[in-house]
Amino acid sequence: MEETLKWLWIGFSCAWVIHLLYVVSLGRRAKKLRDELESLKAMVEERRGK
Amino acid sequence: MKSRSEWVLPVLTAAMLVAALYLAFVWAPTEKTMGHVQRIFYFHVPSFFTAVVAFLVGMVAGIRFLMSRDFRFDELAVSSNEIGVIFTSVNLVTGSVWAKPIWGVWWTWDARLTSAFVLWLMYVGYLILRRSVDEPGLRGVVAAVFSIFAFVDVPIVYMSIRWWRTQHPQPVMFSTEGTLDPQMCLVLYFCLLAMLVLYLCLLQIRRRVERLRHETEGLRRLVHSA
Repeated sequence: MEETLKWLWIGFSCAWVIHLLYVVSLGRRAKKLRDELESLKAMVEERRGK
Repeated sequence: MKSRSEWVLPVLTAAMLVAALYLAFVWAPTEKTMGHVQRIFYFHVPSFFTAVVAFLVGMVAGIRFLMSRDFRFDELAVSSNEIGVIFTSVNLVTGSVWAKPIWGVWWTWDARLTSAFVLWLMYVGYLILRRSVDEPGLRGVVAAVFSIFAFVDVPIVYMSIRWWRTQHPQPVMFSTEGTLDPQMCLVLYFCLLAMLVLYLCLLQIRRRVERLRHETEGLRRLVHSA
């Protein structure tokens, strides 16, 4: 019984680690895009000002 | 600040996942021959069906994009297909962990496992293909056509255990052949519902990222063309 619990725990952990890593990657992608968008908007504003 | 409606889905997802964990780990009876490891089933099977729903949404959105050239459909297609890859990964990994103590091997090249792995490879290919085309219109068209062909593997994966002799157990969902305990069946369907809600929650987040990427790409083109 102990042995099968160990495998259940491994399977369960793997499933949620995959989901967690995906959510973290989405957050990082969103942050990177938001930063790039801000700098691009600043560049456009700068060009308009000239 | 996020509006209240944006919090509804994540809160509902968290509540349903906690309930699904309780049902799968505590409430569901322990299977006699396999023991506790059989409980992987409550995440392994719903992950596959959620991936199927995600790929179906992706394909339909791709077709709608081909018909209308409306980028909101392309945005939905890529978001849904990417989440489908995540759920297929969970399905493959949990299946492999389940196989090790029961079959004695991590992996075997039987029809169900191989066709599921091919499905995963095709949709990873879809994501790579999207990265290799710069022009948004062409990228949407190529990706939509590819996703229609990739979806052909979904019924093959489902039917593989009927068409070929395989080590994989026979279907228990949407099948009249299964002899699943009613309590286990209830937990399985609840876990499927929880996974579908998780899919909707991830889709909401992923679409927001895709919209942001689309906006950034448009502005980048404007800056570089000026």
